[in-house]
Amino acid sequence: MPLSPLLDRRLVIVTGKGGTGKTTVAAALGLAAAAAGKRVLLAEVGPDEHVAPLLDPDAPRAGYEGRELRKGFSAMRIDPYDALGEYLGLQIGLAGVVRRVLANRAFRQLMDASPGWRELITLGKIWHLESLRDPSGAPRFDLIVVDAPATGHGLTFLDVPRVVGSAVRAGPLRRHASWVEALIRDPARTLLLPVALAEELPARETAELVTRLRDQVGVALDRVVVNAVTPPPYPPGSEDLAARLARLPRDFEIPGAPPPSVLAACLEHLGARAALNGRWIRAIAESTGLPARVLPRLPLGVRGAADLERLAAPLLEDGS
Amino acid sequence: MSADLALEALVRSRRILVCVGTGGVGKTTLAASLALQGARLGRRTAVLTIDPARRLADALGVRELGNQPTALPRERLAALGVPEAGSLAALMLDMKRTFDDLVTRFADSEASRQRILGNRIYQHVSDALAGSAEYSAMEKVFELSERDDLDLIVVDTPPSQHALDFLDAPRRLLEFLDSRLVHVLLHPAFAAGRFGVRLFQRGAERVLRVIERISGVAFLEDISEFLLAFEGMSEGFRERARRVEARLTGPDAAFVLAAGPSRESTRHALALLERLDSAGVPLAGVVVNRVHLWPGPGPTPECVPEPARRDEARAALAAALGGSDASEPEALAALAAADGYAGWVRADHEASAELAVRIGRRGGFVRRVAELPGDVHDLEGLASVADRLFETGREDT
Repeated sequence: MPLSPLLDRRLVIVTGKGGTGKTTVAAALGLAAAAAGKRVLLAEVGPDEHVAPLLDPDAPRAGYEGRELRKGFSAMRIDPYDALGEYLGLQIGLAGVVRRVLANRAFRQLMDASPGWRELITLGKIWHLESLRDPSGAPRFDLIVVDAPATGHGLTFLDVPRVVGSAVRAGPLRRHASWVEALIRDPARTLLLPVALAEELPARETAELVTRLRDQVGVALDRVVVNAVTPPPYPPGSEDLAARLARLPRDFEIPGAPPPSVLAACLEHLGARAALNGRWIRAIAESTGLPARVLPRLPLGVRGAADLERLAAPLLEDGS
Repeated sequence: MSADLALEALVRSRRILVCVGTGGVGKTTLAASLALQGARLGRRTAVLTIDPARRLADALGVRELGNQPTALPRERLAALGVPEAGSLAALMLDMKRTFDDLVTRFADSEASRQRILGNRIYQHVSDALAGSAEYSAMEKVFELSERDDLDLIVVDTPPSQHALDFLDAPRRLLEFLDSRLVHVLLHPAFAAGRFGVRLFQRGAERVLRVIERISGVAFLEDISEFLLAFEGMSEGFRERARRVEARLTGPDAAFVLAAGPSRESTRHALALLERLDSAGVPLAGVVVNRVHLWPGPGPTPECVPEPARRDEARAALAAALGGSDASEPEALAALAAADGYAGWVRADHEASAELAVRIGRRGGFVRRVAELPGDVHDLEGLASVADRLFETGREDT
């Protein structure tokens, strides 16, 4: 089977509204790429780490140093202060001094109050990871998957290099910001993967996000992931099944099962959910102009690598 | 007190209700339905969203929301049971406008007002970039709570990792304004690119020099100009921030945590609960949204059908459905649907059980709200959510 072009990118940035299952999609993609023989790094951006606990709740966190969770699949969490320390250390060459200053309370307060630098330094670190090469000259990581912040903040996140470019007139910062911006805007290397739910509000928000990302940030997109979709519960041609069950005599007993009226209620609920999902999957595809990749709802949630593997197949499906 | 009464008491008596929670758990819908209920109880209510994604406007069926309250049409509210005395207005935080208004309020002169509003750093701080959302939200809530034409203000906050920034915002601003570093930066020598060495450690000076070299002097000049211009206003800000904090942690305000039914969502809610606790935030209770409830009498079955009677169940149901070729797959589908749905019900229940224990221990309420078959995208939909939320006689305390 030929590799999906999704896995041929250097950088896939997964974004979406909170609760859409961004982390799940990022992890499923990363594991699938590793299974295909790629060296993968999953970078989480945010205050908490979710990927390592997803694979093994008792495992130690990967942290800024990163850790190989499965063969070829590493994870890390990009902490902006760690990244700033590394960056300044590279620029100054005095790691001890940098550490002391970063630990300084007043310096932290200044940084906490300063906008934009967290996003910029995080993207800078991603740029740096992308540029790493091993002694043979091959990339250290074939694919970097970024679990980006939730939608509203996700846009800000990707737009910061451009904003810095316009705010800072000269110097290394401006130069570095332009490198980062070039990476984000390079369709051969970078792809943005939006994750949506097939419901009205998330669907509308996704359409808005995709439009703004195209216009404002100029990042490439080739598919939209629609997560947690309920499949129709009826066999084809039996859409009236719930109604017929409800018409069965009240005292009709099914051995070892609830009465027909309860089966009808369950079917109706799942059927309504599936119909709603179907409607919004079509709406999302239409409003974004992107093919939708549909992932099933797992009622018990994602409970490990096996569930992630199940989700990866529809995610990677190629063509429209 | 049962959960429905506890929730109703909040909506009836508090001045500020803050809805917190992770993303995708119906926080915006919760905020809007609490506000609608407030209006139904005859209170003049406003609901504020901080979410840039326009979800509140969508849910209220309003095309655009501004930085000032937009009143919803009286006739539409009346149709949903809002009495003459009650009203409902909605607004969406415009961070830039809120900040500009503040600068205008506190600037010591027209010149300093102009200098700040025209400052490049200020424009970025006050613009959509991270950092100012939380502070301006707090500011807006405070401003609304000062008005005497509003009885109840319901606030929808950004997703959890930011919800606490929201609470910390005034304190952070105060600490920052008081910090030594700010005083160093405000030292006139700074504008020329030199630092008051005695005022700050040598190491910090070196690092700042490098930052200056990396970032370009102009960037730092902008920062110092911004801070200089801000200095004249800092007393006003400081006083304001203290009052905002006092108002939100005082007896007039209550926080309600919104959670989803899944295990993942519960994990996030528990983490948030801990952080709220350690921040000393007065959490009144939790609303678990979109819970699946078993439609039948009796307990939720472990397995449908009972494994030992699988063939028997399928055969009996297929016969009852007509006994044709299509009946067999139909019987299987019906049994599978009940089995799958029972799994959802059990999973939801298990996931929220721990949350219920933890909240109950602190005297808070837990309210479980059943999943709606469709989306909420208008006032009528919100009204039916509010109906479920405030439905009396439920057992889930």
